[in-house]
Amino acid sequence: MTKLLTLVLVVGTVALFAYVSADLPDRADPHAPANEHLAGDFIELTEKEIEIPNVVSAILADFRSYDTLGETFVIFTAGIAVLLVLQRGYKRND
Amino acid sequence: MTERHDSLILHFIVRVLMVPFIFLFGMYVLIHGEASPGGGFQAGAIVAAAIILGRLTLGHDHAGNRFPTRLLIWLSSIGVGIYLVAGIVPLFFGANYLDYSQLPVGWFNDVAQHHRTGRAMGIFIVEIGVFVAVLSTLVILYDYLTERSQEEDADGDAHD
Repeated sequence: MTKLLTLVLVVGTVALFAYVSADLPDRADPHAPANEHLAGDFIELTEKEIEIPNVVSAILADFRSYDTLGETFVIFTAGIAVLLVLQRGYKRND
Repeated sequence: MTERHDSLILHFIVRVLMVPFIFLFGMYVLIHGEASPGGGFQAGAIVAAAIILGRLTLGHDHAGNRFPTRLLIWLSSIGVGIYLVAGIVPLFFGANYLDYSQLPVGWFNDVAQHHRTGRAMGIFIVEIGVFVAVLSTLVILYDYLTERSQEEDADGDAHD
């Protein structure tokens, strides 16, 4: 019974997503909603104001610099967490 | 897990061929991050792979001398610090946090005979910060997961 329910749920979800995905814009469609607002500005300003060829780097480290700062902190925090959890031989001063 | 493997072929391949090449490639990916695919994260991962490869084959006692865990812990903080300072410096030149457009790069362009905008320079500095942070954090993860660092602690100044 559980297996049947799972099957119905999985098939139903896949069918729903397949049905909805037909309405998504094409990947390279220049008039897709995702490409109409900021993407054009990024491409234009990278050439005009930053003057580097790599738009990805420009977005990552300049336009979206806060995001990258946060990512760096995530990696740093992961390192600190591992260090704290796995550190041995730490003596307490009781 | 990270004991030394005494094999001439292995040492030759790793020390002469692979590690120098991987280091060079990592530097290339970092420096050309503005002109081609790449950047701080990728370059950090590549160089960390080279360091970990050295530790796997030569053993932590030998390879660990060049990049000791203690130094890497400092480096990971310094990398994040470079990023933070690169964000704070523009505040003194009348721009917003992390807005590198007002950075004074005129002197650099004069010295290097090369035109580069302040924002391009800011991107490069930030990439270096990310590179240092990612590189050292990955090696720290490896060191602590293989529990080699505790031996370092045992014979050293360690913790009081």
